[in-house]
Amino acid sequence: MARQPIVTDPIVRSKPLAKRKNWRTSFFTPWLFLLPSIVILGTFLAYPIIEAFQWSFLDYKIIADTGEYVGLANFKEIFTDSTFWKAFLNTLLFLVIVLPLNVLLPMILAVLVNQKIRGVSTFRVLYYLPVVTPMVVGALMWKMLYSQNSMISQVLVWLGVFDSPTNLLVQSSTALVAVSMITVWKGLGYYMIIYLAGLQSIPKDVYESASIDGASIFQLFTRITFPMLMPSVTLVSVMTIIAGMKVFEEIALTTGGGPAGATTTLVMYIFDNFMSLDVSTASAAGLVLLVMAIGASLLQMKLTSKREDDLRA
Amino acid sequence: MKSKKRSQQIWLYALLLFITVITVGPFFITLLISLKSPNEGIYDVLLPSDPTFANFIDSFAKADFGLYFVNTVIVTGIAIPLNLLFCSLAAYPLARMDFRGRSVVLALIISTMMVPFQLYMAPLFQLAGDLGLRNSHIGLVVMQVSTAFGIYLMRQAFLRIPKELEESAYLDGASKFKVWYLVAIPLVKPTLVTLAIFTFMGTWGDYLWPLLNSTESSMYTLSIGLAQLSQNFDGANLKLISAASILTTIPTLLIFIWLQKYFISGATDGAVKG
Repeated sequence: MARQPIVTDPIVRSKPLAKRKNWRTSFFTPWLFLLPSIVILGTFLAYPIIEAFQWSFLDYKIIADTGEYVGLANFKEIFTDSTFWKAFLNTLLFLVIVLPLNVLLPMILAVLVNQKIRGVSTFRVLYYLPVVTPMVVGALMWKMLYSQNSMISQVLVWLGVFDSPTNLLVQSSTALVAVSMITVWKGLGYYMIIYLAGLQSIPKDVYESASIDGASIFQLFTRITFPMLMPSVTLVSVMTIIAGMKVFEEIALTTGGGPAGATTTLVMYIFDNFMSLDVSTASAAGLVLLVMAIGASLLQMKLTSKREDDLRA
Repeated sequence: MKSKKRSQQIWLYALLLFITVITVGPFFITLLISLKSPNEGIYDVLLPSDPTFANFIDSFAKADFGLYFVNTVIVTGIAIPLNLLFCSLAAYPLARMDFRGRSVVLALIISTMMVPFQLYMAPLFQLAGDLGLRNSHIGLVVMQVSTAFGIYLMRQAFLRIPKELEESAYLDGASKFKVWYLVAIPLVKPTLVTLAIFTFMGTWGDYLWPLLNSTESSMYTLSIGLAQLSQNFDGANLKLISAASILTTIPTLLIFIWLQKYFISGATDGAVKG
């Protein structure tokens, strides 16, 4: 390879390119570096995404590999389909159940494992175990725990919630809550680490001066810890929303969307349509999911840039 | 004062242990079920009266989990090195070189991170069939051999290292590729480990794509084998499911224990992307 010119400041944004003296890099070099990724992402990501857009406007037959243009018919179909709206509602409901638990429980865990006591690092590891467990395993373990003769139903009878042993996953009134608990369990340790990073950025002397002034532990938490953790709360909330609307394994492997559609979320709806080879309907519903994902990402950008403004001010 | 502090500590430990029961309890119960002998009821008594490894042996002998394990090791073994190589290659010019189209490429790559897989899984399924990737190991990892998230992560790492070392290498007449390989890559090793972990976790436990793309049981990964086994979710089979679940989890636990600190730092690195 020929000798390369010296690049003194390749990422300075303030200087326009033309004014920089040493900007003379070979045209091909950066593209050679990028080539493998562009080929792979172009083939297996960009191309299928473009196709999904097309299919949502076609009456596409995946086996025959043809489809007629049908305009907005697929969207009309899903928007008049009560199953779609039920799935949409279930997705929102799932988020409503998971969001407060994901915000609060890992925060409590983080405060606990941030204490300077013996053995606390072991507890951190033990709380992180569900995070590194494959979701399929997590879902099946909980399916066993929920079974009528197993732990959870017995504890609920013992607590007097039910008169007789009940499997929460097969009751349409409790199934969605039951699968949400699997999601919460899986994420506890992960969000705990996010909060822990937030906690460790709070200066120690704030606590010291407050306790000298006679603040109780509860006051320390509500007046200092909680407000100082607000950036982490934002982060955990947005991550929960983005991950939560894609929830799949814990439902597919426990209830399969049932009983009677009680746990059919948007992703389950897309999956079911795909399995019945109704790929155009699946693509249209996928676009709805994409719009929601973009909305959540915009929310995240807005919230995080606001946070940076706050920090600068 | 001292006894008050002591009782506070006891409460703290009680609370920590209670949470441990919730996070670790399911593994413990699954392990106990997997050790129960054939004539023992699943939920009768908690502890197995006559612990046996028969269910683990059966998961190999009767349910082909040996093959699924090998398949999973192969796809993970393909995904990790390729993803590290391609992402660190692609990220380098995006962090360190000025060229026309850089910001467009970067924006395109980052924006794909928010596209849900369920949107394009059907076209991808068809494409994999057309390219002859159905029921092949490479077909199972097409989503993992170069990832937008990996490129993003590596770019952040390259941006964090000081430029001076690379500059002096250029002065000595080294090519861009040599500088990347000999100077920049060694400096981002911790991030490479983090990305290896993300790739491992994403591939080892991947469910939806392998479920679609492996239509023959000879190409099942552990996740798919386990899901198929759980179609029959009753008494005797639950012991087999438990044993297979433990088998599937052990490698991830070992790697977690081995590379703990990278998991923790990776969790916060990964959080930035949302």
